[in-house]
Amino acid sequence: MALDTTVAQASGRVPITVVSLDGELDASNFTALIETVRGLYDAGSRHLLLDLTDLRFMASSGLVALHSIVRLMHGEPPPDPEAGWGALHALGQDVSEGSTQAEVQLCGAQPAVERVLSRTGLNRLFLSHPDRATAIAAF
Amino acid sequence: MSDPLPPGGPGVDAILAPFRGLASSLSIAIHDASGVRVGGTSPVDAPPGSLTRDIVAGPLVGGRVLAWGSSVATPLAVASVESLAIALGIAHTVGGAGIADVVAARRIEQELAHGRRLQRSFVSLVAPEVPGYELASHYEAAREVGGDFFDLFRMRRRGRPLSVVIADVSGKGIAAALLMAFSRPLLHAAVDNTTGPAEALERTNRILVQERRSSLFITALCAMLALSTGRLRLANAGHEPPLIVPGDGSPILPVDVGGPLLGAFGSLGLFEAEVELGAGDVVLFYTDGVTDARSAAGDRFEEDRLLAAIEAARDGSGTGHGTAAEIVESIRAAVTSFQAGMAPADDITIVAIGRRRPVLRRGVRRG
Repeated sequence: MALDTTVAQASGRVPITVVSLDGELDASNFTALIETVRGLYDAGSRHLLLDLTDLRFMASSGLVALHSIVRLMHGEPPPDPEAGWGALHALGQDVSEGSTQAEVQLCGAQPAVERVLSRTGLNRLFLSHPDRATAIAAF
Repeated sequence: MSDPLPPGGPGVDAILAPFRGLASSLSIAIHDASGVRVGGTSPVDAPPGSLTRDIVAGPLVGGRVLAWGSSVATPLAVASVESLAIALGIAHTVGGAGIADVVAARRIEQELAHGRRLQRSFVSLVAPEVPGYELASHYEAAREVGGDFFDLFRMRRRGRPLSVVIADVSGKGIAAALLMAFSRPLLHAAVDNTTGPAEALERTNRILVQERRSSLFITALCAMLALSTGRLRLANAGHEPPLIVPGDGSPILPVDVGGPLLGAFGSLGLFEAEVELGAGDVVLFYTDGVTDARSAAGDRFEEDRLLAAIEAARDGSGTGHGTAAEIVESIRAAVTSFQAGMAPADDITIVAIGRRRPVLRRGVRRG
C-alpha cells in the first residue's frame, strides 16, 4: 500500500514543482501527501504538477487529498474536517463560470485513476494532460 | 509478540494499545515477575532520547494484571488504561507523557467505539416489507469508523414506492461519522419530499454546500422503485453505478448515469436514468469498499471479480437466475475469501433488490 513521492523542479513559463506519485494513494497515506505539498508551498512553490503516470490506484481519500492540495496551493489554511467548504465552493463557482484553477494540474492519469476522477466529478477542478512534457508547456 | 498472560484478563497488548500513539515521548516495557519481557511498545518506536518506563507485570489475579512501576514498591491492579497511567505517573513523575495524555488517548479510543456504534445505527438493518420484491443487504464496518450508509424505506406518496439511498462519505473517523449523521436524514427527507431522485440529490447538495458542514465529500445514489410496474428511476452523485442482473441470464449491465459528488459544487446538473425491473431481475447497489477490497498480495477486488461473483450466484442458484440474497451472499463470500481474513480497510455495503417471479398456481379441482 506504499506510495512513493518524488519531487522535481521544471521550468515552463513559470517555475513548476513536479510531484510524481508511484503506488497507491489511499487512507493510509493521503495525509502524508498533503503534508508534502504543504512543505513545498511553504518553501515557495506556487505551480504544482501532479504526475500520476505510476499511480495505480486512488481511493476516495485521494479525492480529499487532491482537494486539500488545491486549497494549500491557493494559500488557504489547512483543511479542517470540521469546517471549510468555502474554498472548494469558490473553485466550483469558477468551474461553473467556465474557468478552472490552474495552479495545480495533473498529467498521466491511468484509466483506473481517471475513472475515479470522472465518476466523482473532481476532474472538473483540474486541467489534465496526457504526459509531463505537454503539461509543463501548458503552465 | 507473545502474551503469556492467562485468558480472561485484559491482556498486555490490549492495555497498551492506546499508549502506542504516545511512543514519541514514552516507551513502555512490561516484564513478568521473573524479568522476561512479555510486552510493551516496541523499542524501535522510541526515538533516541525518549524516556523508557518499565512495568513489571505479575500474575493475573481476578482478571486483572498486577503491575507496578520499577520504582514502586506496592503492586497496582491494572484493569484499565487509567490505572496503568496512574501506575506510570507514580513511578515516574518527571517529563514524558503524563496521565492527561494517556487519558486523552483513552478518550479517543472510546469516541471511536461510540462512532462505530453510531454508524451501525445509521445503516438500515430492518428492511421494509415490499410485496413482490426480495430485499437483501450486507454491511461490514471498517476497522476505523468508515462512512458508508444505506436506507431502504417506503415513501409516503401514492403507491408507496420503495426508496433506496446508498452513500459513502469520503474520509474516516469521527468527522466522517458526523457528516453521515447529518446527511442521512437530510437525504431521507429530500427523497420523501421531491418529485424524483435527481431533485432529491440536488436539494441535499444545496443544503450541504450552504451549511458548509465539512471538507469531506459524499458520493450518493438515490433510486425510487414503483412497485406495480417495476419502474426504477435513479440518479447518481459520484457513486459506483448500480448493476442490473437480468433474470433471463443475459449480460449484467451497469446503469451508467452519473454526476459529481455531493458537497463540492454549487449545482450538480444530474440526469436521471430509468430502467424497468422484470420478473427475476435484480438491481445491485454497492460501495467502493467492495471493489477496493485488498488481498494480502496487494491486489484489489475490482469490478471483474464482482461480476464473477454475481455470475457464480446465477450459475449456482437453485432458481437458475440468482436471487437477491444469493447474489449478495456470493459477493460477500468472494470478498471475504479475497481478503483472507483481514478486516476490511473500508466499509463494505451491498444492497440488492429482486423482483419476484409470479408464483404459478395450479388449478384446484373441486368436488
